[in-house]
Amino acid sequence: MGSRRVSALVLLGFCTISVLLAQRGTVRDFLDEEDNPAPMPADAQEPGEYTFARLRYTSKRNGYWGRGGGAWSTDWPKADRQFVQGVRRLTRVNARSVEQVVELDSEEFMQYPWIYATEVGRWDFTEKQAARLREYFLKGGFMMTDDFHGTFEWSVFYEGLQKVFPDRPVVDIEDKDQIFHVLYDLKERFQVGGIQMFFTGRVSENDGYDAKWRAVLDDKGRVMIAICHNMDLGDAWEWADHPRYPENFASLAYRVGVNFIIYSMTH
Amino acid sequence: MFEFLFRYPRSVFTKGDLVLLGSWPVWLLGVLIVAGIVGLGWLMRSRQSEAVGSIKGWRSLVLWALQSSMLAAVLTLLWQPALLVSTLKPQQNVVAVLVDDSQSMALKEGGQARRDQARTPLQAGVLDALSRRFQVRLYRVADRAERIKALDTLTAQAASTNLGDSLKQVSNETAGLPLGGVILVSDGADNSGGVDLDTITELRTRRVPIHTVGVGLEQAVKDVELSDVQAPARALADSRIAAQLTFEQRGYEGRKAKLAVRDGSKVVAMREVTFGKEGNWQTESLLFNAGSAGARAFKFSLDLQEGEENQKNNSTERLVNVQDGRRRILYIEGEPRWEFKFVRRAIEDDKSVKLVTLLRTTQNKFYRQGVDQPTELEQGFPAKVEELFGFHALILGNVELNYFSPTQQELIKSFVDRRGGGLLMLAGRNALSEGGWAKSALAEVLPVILPERKGTFLREPAAVQLTGTAIDSLITRLVEQPGANDERWRKLPQLADYQDIGTPKLGAAVLAEYTPGGRARLPLLVTQNYGRGRTAVLGTSGTWRWQMQQPLEDQTHEVFWQQLQRWLVTETPGPVVASTPRQMLFDESRARLSADVRDKTFLPAADVEVEARVLGPQGLTERIKMKPDAVTPGLYLTDYALPKTGSYLVEFTARRGAEEVGRDVVTLQRQDGVAENFRTGQNRELLEKLSQQTGGRYWKPADLNRLADEIALSEAGITVREARDLWDLPAVFMALIALRGTEWWLRRKWGAV
Repeated sequence: MGSRRVSALVLLGFCTISVLLAQRGTVRDFLDEEDNPAPMPADAQEPGEYTFARLRYTSKRNGYWGRGGGAWSTDWPKADRQFVQGVRRLTRVNARSVEQVVELDSEEFMQYPWIYATEVGRWDFTEKQAARLREYFLKGGFMMTDDFHGTFEWSVFYEGLQKVFPDRPVVDIEDKDQIFHVLYDLKERFQVGGIQMFFTGRVSENDGYDAKWRAVLDDKGRVMIAICHNMDLGDAWEWADHPRYPENFASLAYRVGVNFIIYSMTH
Repeated sequence: MFEFLFRYPRSVFTKGDLVLLGSWPVWLLGVLIVAGIVGLGWLMRSRQSEAVGSIKGWRSLVLWALQSSMLAAVLTLLWQPALLVSTLKPQQNVVAVLVDDSQSMALKEGGQARRDQARTPLQAGVLDALSRRFQVRLYRVADRAERIKALDTLTAQAASTNLGDSLKQVSNETAGLPLGGVILVSDGADNSGGVDLDTITELRTRRVPIHTVGVGLEQAVKDVELSDVQAPARALADSRIAAQLTFEQRGYEGRKAKLAVRDGSKVVAMREVTFGKEGNWQTESLLFNAGSAGARAFKFSLDLQEGEENQKNNSTERLVNVQDGRRRILYIEGEPRWEFKFVRRAIEDDKSVKLVTLLRTTQNKFYRQGVDQPTELEQGFPAKVEELFGFHALILGNVELNYFSPTQQELIKSFVDRRGGGLLMLAGRNALSEGGWAKSALAEVLPVILPERKGTFLREPAAVQLTGTAIDSLITRLVEQPGANDERWRKLPQLADYQDIGTPKLGAAVLAEYTPGGRARLPLLVTQNYGRGRTAVLGTSGTWRWQMQQPLEDQTHEVFWQQLQRWLVTETPGPVVASTPRQMLFDESRARLSADVRDKTFLPAADVEVEARVLGPQGLTERIKMKPDAVTPGLYLTDYALPKTGSYLVEFTARRGAEEVGRDVVTLQRQDGVAENFRTGQNRELLEKLSQQTGGRYWKPADLNRLADEIALSEAGITVREARDLWDLPAVFMALIALRGTEWWLRRKWGAV
């Protein structure tokens, strides 16, 4: 092999690595971790005021991977993109059509004041990540957690939460809280089941029989972390277009998600 | 030298009339001079042939001219030339000697107080010389003139100097007396605004010359003077105040000093300054917190420097009426945005501002926050003048023009122009040019000419930086020191978006700029005053990144938005706006009080009764009914004389029948003996002007030995006309000798002798 060929190959390799590195932090990150692929919207590159940011965290046992598949990436990206379509249709929020996967260690993390974390019954943080997350909330960031069920997953979730806020209690959100009224009046709330109910015949999972609407509040009583325990709103967004998925489940999941966004942009 | 050559003082020549005392007719003198000159010429011409060769031609003409001059001079002297002057009759006229006895005369210069600089020459013979020829009346001068028997009674402790009133008083007291002249011994440091024209005219009518004697250095050798402080008369509680301090120094160029402001004994702000060029005015700003509500007297000072000659002119006070109550701002936002949320959070702890928000969440639904009543803004943006004018400022977020009805658009304009409110327009995909505002009626009130095109709003990062105009702006001051503040802005995280807001109008202030992608700088924050109000345009909706992308403890975002919103509301008037030209009355007692009264729609209210209730020192209470101004509707005036020194609070209440239209408060303070310590250099210009305009002369203390002679040359009082011979002046004889001597020297030079 001549020296010219070696040089050409080195140059080609350098260019390839550069292109891949340049794509970090874009909508094309982590494609190999997709849980339920969805078509890339035509206007995916068009920026918006609001971006559905999905938190990519490490699972307690298996790094970024959970039980037989994604933990952070559960329902991704179909749920995200399908939900954003609803946000665009139902509100005046200027939402980007495609979600953004964000990592706690990234510089861009603080550019997304609203993040979604799913399967948080498996999450885990380093002390540094916990401190960063705490700073994010105290500056005004908002997180919606979803799709974790029963006592065991709650204990894992709570263990991670304690690293972030060792001394802040988790409280049940009162019905009168603005988060349930900022756009839709959500007085009637119920347990929203995931797609698993097609196979198990049960709405609930594990021993999580009742939907819990909980939160961690800031010093002024505003919701920083909206905790949706014993329900799977992400599945409702993901399968809203499925003929067998209950319409009332999808409807509530959309309205809760929309309220959480509007709330986070007003409080 | 002048008097050696001409025997008489210069004033004799300026005031006297030239006459010829000889009994022969003047025409004869002319004829003889002409005849003599012609005769000499004929004689020289007729003997030209006998003359030596060296004095022919032009040289003979020179000799002819010298001899003609000699002949003319001798003939003129034979006619007895003299000056006719008016002089005061001995012992029949009064001369008033006024000596400044104010505090500034106690200043020591070169080890001697000004009082002694004035007193010493007078006591060393000047007064005796005057007394031998005139009846001398001694006066001490302060805010008025007072007769004294001897100069020893001068104390240099009077709180103020009013030269005009004192001269007028002396003129009145001596109206029936033959006043031959006035001698005013002073440093000219008048703090009543100078000598008025009426007094000058009166003295000129009586032909009384004022001879001024200037004492004191015209410029201090070593002194620092805090000459002026500009501070707002009103401020919101807990808000920041910017004061502009102007000072001058001599002898301390390049030295450092501390500027401080105190509230009572507590230092509320301090900063170091470096003195600039000696003798130049230097202005520096100082920011401080207004503190809690109430009338506050802030004391501004420059610390004393070593060896200062005047140690009483380094500080001064200003009153600030710190107002309680929260100003209400209406913020309408066309769609949920992060800026909306973070702006709300930035000012939620500000006790002086309350943000009422109206957010369009869906096409037909508004979300209201901060409303006082459940029904407030229920129908969306106000359509009634009373409802909108209840707010102090208005923020238009990402809202397109067409959302507002034509009536509402006019209301917004009147809100700024007539009501005097603050208006801030933010960037957005439906804001400014994108929302069609460029061609709206409101475009007139904005500080920029909006671009008439689309595509002005971009969600791209942009760096920000301050302009030079922002140095004195309270809005953009994040850090006290201007240099550090500039640096702080440069290091802020990039904005999330930006919008081209067009070209700043003339008179608008561009406070900050952004550089999209490192390209040319474009205006980011522009402000201006319009009508009774003020407007601003901020070309971004992405300052929230300053909150999220800086350390948790960083307060940049909060401080910026609190200051911007306070700027919007601080000057917004209520229905009654009371004012007075000067709140601090230094050695003055009269204040003009005025109240501008408006009705609920902020149109002038000419049908109300306005009462001013004065609360003064030592339990003083007065009620004054104010009179409507004949020219300006809604304006009510009164002149009030503050009877004592101390602080005054005046509360104005406007009523229409039993209904109260509004009220406002003004604070005043009268202090005596303060102005005397400022501008203490000898005001020679004033003294010279005074003497020139009245036919007198400006004197230095060292020259006073000739004063008695010169003051006698006056047309006032009882005078006689005196002829002063000119024929025996040494200068005349020297001139004659010079003529003859020159002729002899020339003849010798040309070889004729």
